[in-house]
Amino acid sequence: MRHITSIAGRELSSLFVSPVAYVTLTLFALLAGFFFLAGVLSFDAQVAEAQSLQYTDYLEKINLNDAVLGPFFGVMWIVLLFLIPGITMGLFASEKVNGTQELLLTSPITIWELVLGKYIAGAVFAACLVLVAAFFTGILFLYGNPEFWRTISGLLGLLLLSWSYVAVGAFASSVTRNQLIAFFLALVLLLILWMLAVVADLGAAGGTIGADSNLSEVMRFLSASDRFEKMVRGLVDTRDLAYFAFMISVFLVFTKTSVESARWR
Amino acid sequence: MSDGAESSESVKADSSRIEARGISKRYGDFTAVEGVSFDVGEGEVVGFLGPNGAGKTTTMRILTGFIPPTEGSAQIAGYDLFSSPLEARRSIGYLPESPPIYPEMSVRSYLVYVSKLKDLPRARRKEAVDKALERCGLTHVQSRVIGLLSKGYRQRVGLAQAIVHEPPVLVLDEPTVGLDPIQISEIRQLIADLARPGEHGGQSVILSTHILAEVEAICRRVLIINEGTLVLDAQLTALAQEGQRLEDVFTRAAQGESIALGREVGK
Repeated sequence: MRHITSIAGRELSSLFVSPVAYVTLTLFALLAGFFFLAGVLSFDAQVAEAQSLQYTDYLEKINLNDAVLGPFFGVMWIVLLFLIPGITMGLFASEKVNGTQELLLTSPITIWELVLGKYIAGAVFAACLVLVAAFFTGILFLYGNPEFWRTISGLLGLLLLSWSYVAVGAFASSVTRNQLIAFFLALVLLLILWMLAVVADLGAAGGTIGADSNLSEVMRFLSASDRFEKMVRGLVDTRDLAYFAFMISVFLVFTKTSVESARWR
Repeated sequence: MSDGAESSESVKADSSRIEARGISKRYGDFTAVEGVSFDVGEGEVVGFLGPNGAGKTTTMRILTGFIPPTEGSAQIAGYDLFSSPLEARRSIGYLPESPPIYPEMSVRSYLVYVSKLKDLPRARRKEAVDKALERCGLTHVQSRVIGLLSKGYRQRVGLAQAIVHEPPVLVLDEPTVGLDPIQISEIRQLIADLARPGEHGGQSVILSTHILAEVEAICRRVLIINEGTLVLDAQLTALAQEGQRLEDVFTRAAQGESIALGREVGK
């Protein structure tokens, strides 16, 4: 156990002295701020227009959660999809370049301690990003009255999504010594996971894949999009929580196997 | 090979810190190391020689538990590398060919981190790190970032991480590469000090090098490996008695000649 905290602590302190962490945090804050502001301004414009035209039905229906936070979380998801590979690309790849892989694999630590330490460091950093998003949604509470638990549910969705992305990114970093390859591999894996539900829908629509066929079921299961949208709407389902736990575990097992394989080369 | 193993077992059964038994490593059809057996006793400094590609690094990687052998077994400080890997690895300090360093860390914080990885008790950590810094001549650069240090200092940082937890066994892959002559003699002095019996008993050192003078300066015993097999395991004094120069022995070994002197392997 203490190895895990030592490894995670070292990884985090290295992350925070590297430009990667600051570039990622700054980009995320800028993008989050931009999309948040755009969402709020467009909400404001819509309300003003509806008021001037006396659309009372519309005014009753429109709310901050649907009109601002939903789209905001949706965009933050895509931003995370591109930024998380940036923070995970170095997790294992840099150890190979530094020659420290030999130090780690000849130290009295287990591969699981190494993998979990690295994962926790990435997960803590991802949580910092989600905290930035939470900061912007917090602003909304100062000037309006979005539903509290629905907002928390959306943020939780964002957090779980980012944690599963860290696991995918850690795996990508463990298969190569080149950080750029790790970045693009993680990105491609995440895009595939993201598109699975879309592909299943398209296939169902085109008749290539039966809407209730096994393949379609599996693709829908593996895709996070429906689950995330449910959480943004405020529905926290244990099955969806289990899904994220499943995805994280699967990619950590892949990572462990991949790190261990260094011994057999 | 089994003959060699038995004879060396009878030589030092009690005090041996490294026991390699018939270690082989094959990659598909390619044999990197074939049936290597030897023992290293307490406080012994053994020079590990061989031409490039002879299997030195592979053997060292196997002994440190970095890669498993295809065949054979090894014990480090009495612990089997394969049935109790954590205990065995705790007993080893390893300086790989390229020193493992985190360029963004300071020298001191790196050594503290390594001492945690190697399970050094918290109470002994500060003292052990100070001692390793001092022994490797790093005290005055301890708060500098490793990536900004010269190659010689990085090599010393690599050595410091190998000795910080005062392991009974040290495996050093070309420890003096990239150092200037003064640094080389300092490091040789340090290795000799490590092996001298002291509070922890003499540390056993196996070091690979291409500098034959280095072996003559600090080792009492030499192992020569060629094309994956051990061709010589002899005390330097035995070589001297027979009037053999290490350089000639090495050249003949590298040419694949079997060597008939000292304690020959498999005799």
